[in-house]
Amino acid sequence: MKIICLVKFTPDVDQFQYDYEKNILIRENVKLVINPDDACALGFALGLKKKTPEVVIEAVTMGPLNVTAMMADILRRKVDLATILSDRQYVGSDTYATSRIIGKYLETADYDVILTGSHSRDGDTAQIPGQLAEYLKLNQISQIRKIDQPSMLNKRALVEVDSEKYLETYEIPLPAILSVGRESNYRLPFVRYDDLDLDVSDRLRIIDNDSLAVDSKKIGLKGSPTKVIKSYPIDYQKKEQVIVKNDDQGIDMVMAFLEKEGYL
Amino acid sequence: MKKKCLFFYEEDQGNYVKDLLEVARQMYGENFESYALVINPLDVNVISGFDYLLAVKDQRLKDYDLINITSLMAECQQVYQFDAVIVLATQLGRMLSPRLAMRLHVGLVADITAIKSHPDGTIEMIRPAFEGKLLAGIINDGDGPTMMSVRPGVFLDQQSTAKIPEVLACQLQTIEDTGMRRISQIRKPDSRDIRESRVLVAGGGGVLKDFDQLDQLAQALGGMTAASRRIVDSNKADRTIQVGQSGKTVHPELYIALGIYGALQHVAGLNKVKHLIAVNTNIKAPICSLADIVVEGDAAEFVRKLTTRINENKQAE
Amino acid sequence: MTKEIVLEGLKKLLTNEQINVDADDLYDATADRYKKYAKAKKVLDNPSPCAIVYPKNSSEVSDLLMFCNQNQVNVIPRSGKTATEGGLENWKELAVVIDGKNLNEIVNIDTYNMQATIQAGVALQDLEDELRKVGYTTGHSPQSKPVAQYGGLVATRSIGQLSTLYGGIEDMVVGLECVFPNGHISRIKNVPRRAGGPDIRHIAIGNEGTLCYITEVTIKIFKHFPENNKFYGYLIKDIDTGIKVLREVFTNSYRPSVARAYSEEDARQHFYHFHKDKCVLIFMAEGPQAIVEATGAGIEEAVEKFQEGIIEQVDSSLIEDWFNHLNWSQQDIDDEVEEMINNDSHSGYTTEISADWATVSQIYDNVIKRIRSEFRFADDLTMLGGHSSHSYLNGTNMYFVYQYTINCEPEDEFRMYHHPLQTIIVEETLKLGGSMCHHHGIGKYRNQWTRQEHGSAYYMLETLKEAFDPKGIMSYGNIYYQEDAAKYQQ
Repeated sequence: MKIICLVKFTPDVDQFQYDYEKNILIRENVKLVINPDDACALGFALGLKKKTPEVVIEAVTMGPLNVTAMMADILRRKVDLATILSDRQYVGSDTYATSRIIGKYLETADYDVILTGSHSRDGDTAQIPGQLAEYLKLNQISQIRKIDQPSMLNKRALVEVDSEKYLETYEIPLPAILSVGRESNYRLPFVRYDDLDLDVSDRLRIIDNDSLAVDSKKIGLKGSPTKVIKSYPIDYQKKEQVIVKNDDQGIDMVMAFLEKEGYL
Repeated sequence: MKKKCLFFYEEDQGNYVKDLLEVARQMYGENFESYALVINPLDVNVISGFDYLLAVKDQRLKDYDLINITSLMAECQQVYQFDAVIVLATQLGRMLSPRLAMRLHVGLVADITAIKSHPDGTIEMIRPAFEGKLLAGIINDGDGPTMMSVRPGVFLDQQSTAKIPEVLACQLQTIEDTGMRRISQIRKPDSRDIRESRVLVAGGGGVLKDFDQLDQLAQALGGMTAASRRIVDSNKADRTIQVGQSGKTVHPELYIALGIYGALQHVAGLNKVKHLIAVNTNIKAPICSLADIVVEGDAAEFVRKLTTRINENKQAE
Repeated sequence: MTKEIVLEGLKKLLTNEQINVDADDLYDATADRYKKYAKAKKVLDNPSPCAIVYPKNSSEVSDLLMFCNQNQVNVIPRSGKTATEGGLENWKELAVVIDGKNLNEIVNIDTYNMQATIQAGVALQDLEDELRKVGYTTGHSPQSKPVAQYGGLVATRSIGQLSTLYGGIEDMVVGLECVFPNGHISRIKNVPRRAGGPDIRHIAIGNEGTLCYITEVTIKIFKHFPENNKFYGYLIKDIDTGIKVLREVFTNSYRPSVARAYSEEDARQHFYHFHKDKCVLIFMAEGPQAIVEATGAGIEEAVEKFQEGIIEQVDSSLIEDWFNHLNWSQQDIDDEVEEMINNDSHSGYTTEISADWATVSQIYDNVIKRIRSEFRFADDLTMLGGHSSHSYLNGTNMYFVYQYTINCEPEDEFRMYHHPLQTIIVEETLKLGGSMCHHHGIGKYRNQWTRQEHGSAYYMLETLKEAFDPKGIMSYGNIYYQEDAAKYQQ
């Protein structure tokens, strides 16, 4: 069985600092980390591989070449193959263009199932899995919190989905795109101490657009139908503190505050 | 000519879908026609506020069948040539909207929180990025309709008309077998998690004896109670509601810290809390340094006073 | 020899209630807080002891030690169980933990001669509570006070947070009783001073279970004047300013009971509500009114002298409030275990060193610089800093504190993070002539540097081991490096 896991590396949002004087979010020098939902998907795949060694896992990402070290780390976590789709022309692609680039690669790739995260942390979106599913004409489902292991091997995956009000179980014929949520608690294992410096270069491929050959009018900023024209900092203000007594006046103050901020 | 907007109508989210009319209004003023698309409705008569209703009755079409719903909506697009497609960002909507966008070869802006309509007719959609640390203004400059998804409750339908829509015939032309099926659907037990509560009323050592009373205040504010380690250690509350390093990391908008000292281990569990009210007899307690309002005094007494006041207010309304 | 035979042997010496072979308790006795994360995650790979035994008197201790000595069974003396440096970790297939739990008698409180005699398993907090009732104090207040017991405190050369007035445990011990592997029981009598040859109390104090089992100690007690306590706090430019003020106070012969300088990072942990991202310097003056007044004046004078490095004074009630919330308890320890199990994180580690006034700031800077530039996972550090908390006429200590996001499997945590960080701290300290352990003991994870720590004087340490524990059955791996056990350290 061949599993392709799509992964994305996103800035570690928690590390963002805020410059109160200039009122800007400082995004430079922030470490990239594997998108948490994607890590869960990979974690599931590695768990399946541990029990069923014949499972082959390929991790695929699209991004600048500075993700190479992190993809190498994914290989050191016992993933079999890593593929980086990277080309200067891809820079600025929106989710539509990105889906077409990844879709182009997957059209020719060999797989029984594609696993992704449900949600991407940097954009707060969940678009790529759905767009890719349409591009590849596959079933897709998000917010998976459990995948039945044997059913995967039987090519009819049983998945448990956490929709807002219900817990649902679906049967989905493979190939399909299964998008795992963080609530699944599938955990991506770490690189073991002895493997920290393992040479994995022979299992890592970088594919540029010369070989992938996506129509250059359909990629990058110019190939993207949506464009960010402006970013607005959220107005963080340092707090002004009020100290009141526990008397009628104090309660008035608290009530006024709750009212003003919409808690009542 | 009037702009045409398509809304995907999920019956159990009716009011939230109706709220999306406000999005159209902010884009086009009153110059638009609204079309709601509903699949296998139980009762079309309760659907109101839209100009037209595309009611599809086809028992082969399941509510989770995204491939065929996408085909249906693409066919409608073909017929009506909508200028905008607006989808509520529910579990279904979040899967449907990117698929439909790809089918229609258009861009999609997800989870918008505001709209700016520029004088030249450009629609700027604003959405949060980086877990809400930044807002991005996005335009759609491709061909085809402007597509967006909106989280429930972000916009409010200001006009709330009871307009009865005109029902239009609509039928899916070709259906394909996706092979996917739903095996079970269980309603989730209503066990709320303090990590999901917008308001947390949290107690510490200062309300050890009166911890039970916090619930009244939490209810009055529509929130939940949470506890510091002191409370959990004294068996006054379960560890599932403990905030802090050895408990949960929470991010409510409002955190009311009652008799909580605020050791770093506790504060480590407070992530991006928007407003904090600290009630403590000791205003030198570290927690007070984080508060918008510090109330100096007995926390249990504060709970009684504030709860009474809120409930009086409610009755007066 | 097998585990079964060891247990048979123990049963001949003790009642069944005194022998614990509960699987969870034996797992708990496999390691201490040095490997707390791997331990909480249940992935320890070193052997568990065969049994934990609870002797009731020194004659039972003597029998147990003789049995173990004859049969080459490793003995791990324990009481209180707050070790942080591997001192309670087991590296032998055959091992018995001798726990002081039943040696729990407060034998005598003698306020006329200002001393108290207690058995090894008496909790410091219990004695302190008894003394407070009559207006006295032990003067010993480590963070572990609510949990720690006297046997462990003496065996590790413990120190408390009021050491600058009351001294370390070595300054408090008047006399003691201890038992050697051959079964011999030695009692060192209680006298105010003596010149009867070398001070043999120091063979037992700090032996970390490698030479003898301490069964009873007599310690000094002090009159207590909490109503006179005065607190001082300052935000300061850098840690070096703090060290300079500390030196000024101590070299002028003032003895505040608390005297501490924190780096910015460490200050955030304790004083996030007022430190304003600055270093923090704090003092507490304690004792009779006139001494407190004089000590306070001495502190103010020293602060005045280095005023260019002082940013502002802090409201003293904030320092008093901090002082009243100092100690951690068994609950804190248990909570951290919950945190490790549920949240894959812990509250970090510490490494404590000491050096003279002239070099301590240099060591601090070198350590921080080297960790930042050389430590492979420096990006994962969420906190790196330190404080000086125990000062002397000749110098002070530095307590390095570090926390990190654990990006590894629990099995690898100590070798990827804790040990490499500790290695840098130890190496930089020894390079400039400081001591690699100020008050936690060497335990098992600093034994590779014991020889370097002592230099030519290591001969004396080595000879003590040969003399008192020739078969090497006492706390195998503590203090003394063991080639055969190096696999557990790497």
